[in-house]
Amino acid sequence: MNICSLVVHARPERVPAVAERLDALPGVEVHGRGEGRLVITVEDTAETLAADTLAAVNAVNGVISTALIYHYGGGALDEPLLEEEHS
Amino acid sequence: MKVSRREFIKSQAAVAAAAAAGVTLPATTQLMAAQGDEGIRWDKAPCRFCGTGCSVLVGVEGDRVVASQGDPDAPVNRGLNCIKGYFLPKIMYGKDRLTQPLLRKKNGQYDKNGDFEPVSWDEAFDVMAAKWKEAMKKEGGPSRVGIFGSGQWTVWEGYAASKLMKAGLRSNNLDPNARHCMASAVVAFMRHFGIDEPMGCYDDLEHADVFVLWGANMAEMHPILWSRLTDTRLTKEGCEVHVLSTFENRCFELADNPIVFEPQTDLAIQNYICNYIIQNGHVNKDFVDKHVNFKRTAENIGYGLRPNHPLEQAATNNGYPDSNKAGEKKGDPMASAPITFEEFAKLVEPYTLDYVAKLSKVPKDKLEWLAKVYADPKKKVVSFWTMGFNQHTRGSWVNGNMYNVHLLVGKISEPGNGPFSLTGQPSACGTAREVGTFAHRLPADLVVMNPEHRAFAEKIWQLPEGTINPGIGYHAVLMHRMLKDGKMNCYWQQCNNNMQAAPNMNEESYPGWRNPDNFIAVSDPYPTVSAQAADLILPTAMWTEKEGAYGNAERRTQFWRQQVKAPGESRSDVWQTMEFAKRFLVDEVWPEELLAKKPEYRGKTLYEVLFTNGVVDKFPYEGKVVDDRGNQYANDESEHFGYYVQKGLFEEYRLFNSAPDIIKKGHEMAEFETYHQNRGLRWPVIDGKETLWRFREGFDPHVNAATNPAVAKGDVLFYGNKDGKANVIFAPYDAPPETPDKDYPLWLCTGRVLEHWHSGSMTRRVPELYKAVPDAQLFMNRKDAQKLKLRDGQLAKIVSRRGEITARVETRGRNRMPEGMVYLPWFDSGRLVNKLTLDTTCPLSKETDFKKCAVKVEKA
Repeated sequence: MNICSLVVHARPERVPAVAERLDALPGVEVHGRGEGRLVITVEDTAETLAADTLAAVNAVNGVISTALIYHYGGGALDEPLLEEEHS
Repeated sequence: MKVSRREFIKSQAAVAAAAAAGVTLPATTQLMAAQGDEGIRWDKAPCRFCGTGCSVLVGVEGDRVVASQGDPDAPVNRGLNCIKGYFLPKIMYGKDRLTQPLLRKKNGQYDKNGDFEPVSWDEAFDVMAAKWKEAMKKEGGPSRVGIFGSGQWTVWEGYAASKLMKAGLRSNNLDPNARHCMASAVVAFMRHFGIDEPMGCYDDLEHADVFVLWGANMAEMHPILWSRLTDTRLTKEGCEVHVLSTFENRCFELADNPIVFEPQTDLAIQNYICNYIIQNGHVNKDFVDKHVNFKRTAENIGYGLRPNHPLEQAATNNGYPDSNKAGEKKGDPMASAPITFEEFAKLVEPYTLDYVAKLSKVPKDKLEWLAKVYADPKKKVVSFWTMGFNQHTRGSWVNGNMYNVHLLVGKISEPGNGPFSLTGQPSACGTAREVGTFAHRLPADLVVMNPEHRAFAEKIWQLPEGTINPGIGYHAVLMHRMLKDGKMNCYWQQCNNNMQAAPNMNEESYPGWRNPDNFIAVSDPYPTVSAQAADLILPTAMWTEKEGAYGNAERRTQFWRQQVKAPGESRSDVWQTMEFAKRFLVDEVWPEELLAKKPEYRGKTLYEVLFTNGVVDKFPYEGKVVDDRGNQYANDESEHFGYYVQKGLFEEYRLFNSAPDIIKKGHEMAEFETYHQNRGLRWPVIDGKETLWRFREGFDPHVNAATNPAVAKGDVLFYGNKDGKANVIFAPYDAPPETPDKDYPLWLCTGRVLEHWHSGSMTRRVPELYKAVPDAQLFMNRKDAQKLKLRDGQLAKIVSRRGEITARVETRGRNRMPEGMVYLPWFDSGRLVNKLTLDTTCPLSKETDFKKCAVKVEKA
């Protein structure tokens, strides 16, 4: 089970277009964006491995560089950790 | 809200990334991340790979590393990681990890032609020590044995090996793989400044206006520094990036001034810049008058080939024995002679724009733009370089010429201005360069040739006078030649993969290792190409399976604690070196005259003399290491030897660089415990304070206007040299020894790729990285491919005068080659590019040129 997060660099004016392209990749979630930067997570899906998706992220038109931040590579993660009720 | 562990970890990941990027996240993500505990113990460790020296947080669950993240508190990477760093933990868990010593045997006995069989550590070291003792009885004694070490060794691993070889066995045949990597950088630092390593630091990445990359593909090889540089380029008005390379690499995407030049002509381009600066009146006269000496280097120095090569026979200053005059040498490639500024100006005058544009095949406007940014007093310029300069038959010259450029305009030793030699390996600086693992060096920039330096080392090491051998040992390339020639018979490789890394494998490395007279031991976690060519394989603990210390390219010393246990019987290199020392009695390896000076050493082992000497074994081990948060860690070496091994070795090493009576100031380090509590400090460290820019008053405590009346406020003092000045040393353009011709019409360049570390012995075992780049491709120009009727993905045969291999053609990938040049990375053990390369070196640094040899390509 792989879960990772990345900071993606793009020229500021291209950030919205890059965000859209990244969002379309399987297992990718865009969490936030700033001046010339996006924060995304990439995870394994039933069909894709995070590593392949990372390569795809780098190949997205407009991406200048990517920096990986966090990686979890331990066992499967389906057990619930917390249960909390919100009213 | 039901939060699965998956969602929780994902939110943690997003928050970490957002913190690193300075981006605000939606409140729900932050809320999710704040809940609960992921059940992971986190601790810091420097990355295992390149010379950048990023810090990563290592997450341990049970006795296994399961997670990692960029360390948000690390000044180097500020929470970022590259793809290799991100998969770091997985390097320890390859399926074919070695877990016990393996010896070639036939009928229960060691046999060079036998098959590998598991043996105990005792049997392994018994056989190995017997071979070493037998070899040392032959003519030449200690020169019959050697260790080949690493810029990936921890500080104490390198220090212990240096001590075993130089103090114990009295052999200077100790050299690191850093010889292949940055020996040229070292020579230039010593020749120009008298002290090793960069004067600036990574803070220059935010301070500079202009970045010039010379033979450094930072986008792939130093990705985190590249991301800091990218940030500055995109956010700072007027910031420019100039990229020089012999082919278009990924850095060209950000380049304002992209320059592809003909191999080797970097020397001429630098001299053109000097000429431009002088002709246009941009010399910083005050700076040059006060701080600079002018010299010119010895020429006709050969190419570091074997002495019988025609090019060496023609060379007059290669330093080889003169066949016409017994006992004399042919000049000295290191020599230089003083000249005046005016003479220097005359020497660079022929390097006109017309001449250099024609030679380098670079358009004139690009060259002029480049020269102007160096000349413009208003622009702060940082030059970065790595293997393009270092792996060069004129590597010491081309490094030095860069200093010439910066010194002429005084752009050095201040924020945003400076020449910066990037380093390839995580501790090429901290270990290989600093603790004396080169064939001519002792710790802290001291050298074996200098009697005062030897005496000082003998005093610290409690050795009788005359113990340290004054003769320079065999360097990396020479070791392979000597193994082949049967003049060196025992070779122990630790922490690298030299059978794959060294040049000219077919003609030198392999015949040397398999010479029936020789015994080769390889310490490695994995069955590498080297391990398989060895006679004894020793399983080795890696990275966070031991306590360690690395020093990066900006002089930053960083420590880590042991996080997990190594598998099976794997042991760290420091354990192996110290245990091996127990196999030798001083009486067996020292002559009577030395023993007579220290009779109390008679009957003792080298282990006792070198390591239980009252200094290394001074610090008790309490059975565990505890951090400031109360977490507990093991330390297997200290447990085994009964004292805090790493602390004792480090504190003894500090006697060379930080004690009151040291010979060369400028390398001072803090006490051992300090480094466990911070994210590293850049030496010199004085009164607990690190130094960002050396040689400059206001930054470097060794240059102090308050205590030294000769120094003005903000002034520089190049205190590495006795006269306080730096040297500008003229070095000309020289053609390389092997150039494309009608039989071998293409240049071959080799190097690394982002996804793999060096020979791939670790990263190719990470499924994700293997999958990302499984095989080395032959990058070539489409027109060259079309001429040969080769299409992308087709198998091609690449042939040099020394060997041939096959690889698939790639004309559209990340590297875009000019016509006449191909690039083939060296990480792939399935296609060993060093069967093709030539063992030619810079005659000063003895570092191989892996960037230029001649090949032909055919359909396979």
